[in-house]
Amino acid sequence: MIEFRNVSASYAEELPVLRDVSFTVPDGDFVAFVGTNGAGKSTTMRLVNGLLKPTSGEVLIDGASTRDLKTSELAAKVGFLFQNPDRQICCETVREELLFGFKVLGRADSEAEARVDAMIERFGFDADAEPFLLNRGTRQLLALASIIVMEPPVVVLDEPTTGLDFRECGKVMDAIAAMNARGTTVIMVCHDMEVVGDYARRVIAMTAGQVVADGPTFEVLRDRAVLERAHLLPPQVAGVSMRLGEELAGCAGTPVAWANTLDEMERALADAVGSSATRGEDAR
Amino acid sequence: MIEISNLTFRYREGSAPVVRDVSLTVPDGTFLGITGAAGSGKSTLTYAFNGIIPHCYPGDFYGSVVIDGLDTCTSSLTDVSRLVGSVCQDIESQMVSSVVEDEILYGLENFGVPKDEIGRRVSEALDAMGIADLRHRSIAGLSGGQKQKVAVASVIALEPRVLVLDEPTAELDPASSVGVFELLRRYAREHGTTVIVVEQKIALLSEYADELLIVDGGTVVFKGAPAEVLAHSDELLEIGVNCPRATSLVNRLRRRGLYAGPAARNVDEAVAACKEVLA
Repeated sequence: MIEFRNVSASYAEELPVLRDVSFTVPDGDFVAFVGTNGAGKSTTMRLVNGLLKPTSGEVLIDGASTRDLKTSELAAKVGFLFQNPDRQICCETVREELLFGFKVLGRADSEAEARVDAMIERFGFDADAEPFLLNRGTRQLLALASIIVMEPPVVVLDEPTTGLDFRECGKVMDAIAAMNARGTTVIMVCHDMEVVGDYARRVIAMTAGQVVADGPTFEVLRDRAVLERAHLLPPQVAGVSMRLGEELAGCAGTPVAWANTLDEMERALADAVGSSATRGEDAR
Repeated sequence: MIEISNLTFRYREGSAPVVRDVSLTVPDGTFLGITGAAGSGKSTLTYAFNGIIPHCYPGDFYGSVVIDGLDTCTSSLTDVSRLVGSVCQDIESQMVSSVVEDEILYGLENFGVPKDEIGRRVSEALDAMGIADLRHRSIAGLSGGQKQKVAVASVIALEPRVLVLDEPTAELDPASSVGVFELLRRYAREHGTTVIVVEQKIALLSEYADELLIVDGGTVVFKGAPAEVLAHSDELLEIGVNCPRATSLVNRLRRRGLYAGPAARNVDEAVAACKEVLA
């Protein structure tokens, strides 16, 4: 479990970028942090993995303060994917990159080798390829795979889909969702509200270093006041649904006004049209 | 006007061409959005617009690219860059100064713009991007969105006929991304500048571009007004291009025979289509 207790943080002598932030992420949760550039999301991620320590308050990982944990202890608990994969890729072949974490922890044994092989197969990597010659999407997948392969209990992902095309984005997010389904806690920063709507179960919205909303994904993303304060747009289908609910008297309170996915919205509209066509027989 | 005729390009180290027999005309003042899956050849195609191919990357170049009568292959890169301004994907790599004003001045001085004109150009470029207040700020202290606007301002100060931007909003939040597209569209309209943007964010391209160009396997597979191109959401999906959800929703209604209007480019148009369905 990850707990932020009244955390404030700042870089060097500057004004605090995080002010009195508190939240708890239970094991196995899938949380997306959303908000504008500069809202404090990436700073929050750095506090989770201990790259940054709070100036006041506490960040607790399974009850232990990040101030008291050694970097190696934290690294074993929290896997971290940087926004830019080139900041963490450091080896000369894909295979070495995937083995790197095990080597650092002195665990490059046959089990590690087997996990690396499985990862190469799963993502269709060329084991001998030089990482920096791969395209951006594949480098991002490699950086993610090098974290997944370690099976940390918590992963922190700073914009895992930036710059990826639609298929690559799906591959990366499906891998993350599968990891979450096996029990890994996922905490990510994401600007793509469609990805947030598709994958996250919970959303924490931030503005100017503070949490302005924390709740189930669509409760937060359909709250007009929150959207305005955090300068967010809802996922498009939810946006259409909200507008129809607000602007058409007949839609309020019907499935059209609460649909969040394409399937839900298509069905809701088809049913609404069907029911209006048979309105005479409809007892309602 | 940009005229590309039968362009084929193969990188020297590549085994096959990455751009294949592309012919294309882009009228002045067009806001052209280019997208496609990773490896589709879209970036290489943009390198043809700004002369990076064949001038910087060696390879086999067939066909021609003519911008306002200037053949990019037979002209020097300096002459091409007077017509075509480029903003790289990694803007940090194109920033050379530490202060915003100096960054804008750099290109102007290199191009030998007369001193009495420089002041006006700097002010206009900063105003066009809405960052006049950042003029004396240190670039290192700016947010990603602000840096992106500085990068664009430093290029438009050179008053290019064509502006090429590679994923200008990749690292920006949704509000800043919309802000950059708003500014680009307004600039294109006010100055008659052709704006070419390569983007993965198809929702933004659909909303702001006059024309969408979809690239796959080094060829142009769709070109037209966004509503025309987006009507092909199934074919687009097959080549790894996802439509905005608002578009997919309306296309599903069209497929069910509930709606016969054009494809929706954005939430507003999808809301209008749904209202028609529900009426």
